[in-house]
Amino acid sequence: MKIYSLSVLLAPPSGSSAVLSTSSDLSSFSFYQRGSVAEFLTFFTKTVVERTPQGQRQSVEENAYTAHVYNRGGAEQLAAIIVTDHEYPVRPAFSLLTKVLDDFAAKVPQSSFSNPSSISFPEIENYVKKYQDPRQADAIMRVQQELDETKIVLHKTIESVLQRGEKLDNLVERSNALSTQSKMFYKTAKKQNSCCVIM
Amino acid sequence: MPIQDRTNEFRACVESIRNRSAVPPRTAEAKQRLLQSHGKGGAKSEFSRMASAIGKDISSTTIKLGKLAQLAKRKTLFDDRPVEISELTFIIKQDIAGINRQIAALQSYVKQCNAQGSSKSSEGKQIDEHNHNIVMMLQSKLATTSMSFKDVLEVRTQNMKESKDRTEQFMFSTASAAHQTPPNSLLLNGRHDPMGDGSLGRLNGNGKGKGRAPQNGDVLALDLDSAEEGNAQNGGNPFMQMQLVEQQDSYIQSRSTAIESIESTIAELGQIFTQLANMVAEQRETVQRIDADTIDIASNVGGAQRELLKYYASISSNRWLMLKVFGVLIVFTSPPQFLVFILVS
Repeated sequence: MKIYSLSVLLAPPSGSSAVLSTSSDLSSFSFYQRGSVAEFLTFFTKTVVERTPQGQRQSVEENAYTAHVYNRGGAEQLAAIIVTDHEYPVRPAFSLLTKVLDDFAAKVPQSSFSNPSSISFPEIENYVKKYQDPRQADAIMRVQQELDETKIVLHKTIESVLQRGEKLDNLVERSNALSTQSKMFYKTAKKQNSCCVIM
Repeated sequence: MPIQDRTNEFRACVESIRNRSAVPPRTAEAKQRLLQSHGKGGAKSEFSRMASAIGKDISSTTIKLGKLAQLAKRKTLFDDRPVEISELTFIIKQDIAGINRQIAALQSYVKQCNAQGSSKSSEGKQIDEHNHNIVMMLQSKLATTSMSFKDVLEVRTQNMKESKDRTEQFMFSTASAAHQTPPNSLLLNGRHDPMGDGSLGRLNGNGKGKGRAPQNGDVLALDLDSAEEGNAQNGGNPFMQMQLVEQQDSYIQSRSTAIESIESTIAELGQIFTQLANMVAEQRETVQRIDADTIDIASNVGGAQRELLKYYASISSNRWLMLKVFGVLIVFTSPPQFLVFILVS
């Protein structure tokens, strides 16, 4: 599962959106395809964002790509869109979009929205890189994964405790037998002393 | 059992006893005692009034709770009466909150009375203890009522879930029969597993699997409507809006399902830890037995060694007795010559 691109756009409800910040990872495409893929991604991004009403989340499938878009609207009229392949899990995609939007709105002042080229938001690259593996990056998935690992460890622990129990039972039996035998030994030794006191 | 006010009976008893054993010098005393109890009766009856009010409320709430339990137990698919049930739930919740407040007020009143007149007499202490006991009893009754309320709510949610599953089963079959996913990319894609990575049922198929089914049901049901109407009239914006709202909902739902599954995993882990602790505790007993046995073995073997040493010591010290034994043997094995020798000597 891969992220192909992640973008933040200014999406006023009047229809024409402007890309404020974008980052893409086209390493899976051959060098000569990258240009056309990038163009297609930009077009796809803008179209889908323009067709998403404010305050809505949407997922769009298109051949090999799935776009998840969240048009937050609000005061800044921002929208974030992520283009991935089909296998990318949906829920962490939307969490990522929300996170990116919050980060962007916090870092970039609204005044520079009209001048997209002046916006510098390098964290978007980091997001793309980090979320290539959503299982590690998304908090909920990471927690679930760690919990599952812990559960596996605990299952193994319980198995070993069961084995320990068996061995302890074994030990108990043996020590019981030994104890009886040593008692017989003691009694016999004592009898030796008491029975042959003739001389 | 609600609080019963039996002071009138008590007074009647006192009257009858006084009339029966009418001894003149005691009447004044008796009158004084009665006056005293009457004087304190003002404060006491205030407390008992409040307590009896609370008791009545608790009993009425219990009756309502019984009705709610009846309603919640019904497992019919179509005859459900959600309005009544939610109303009743709301009323019971408010009642419980009100009773809680009343009990808190009663407790503060009791403390106030104690602070005011801390009577050192045994009678006053009994009264205090009695008040305290009544407050405790009311609180425990309220606690049992709220426990049963919670149980009824759980039964209710379970039944609701079951009926929803059944409706979804019916609707699911009709949906899959009549539903044809248009290749239009603007309609929903139906992937809605909560973790989104298709790895359901890996380790805890329970929570995730259950969380998945109703969700799909929601989305598919809506798709059926929109698909039908979209095919009929060239589907316009309102249906897409509904789908978008549904997707918004399903995003939130998927988040909540994911978090629920985490919660259930954590609960499972807790259980596993408890089991582990139990098993180790059981094994501790076994270990103690082994310890005791080993100590026994050590002492037995030590004692046996002592005996053997004693034996050995006695054997080695008795050597000259052995000579005597051998001498006797020789005397008996070669009798004639030695006997003659001895007789002669």
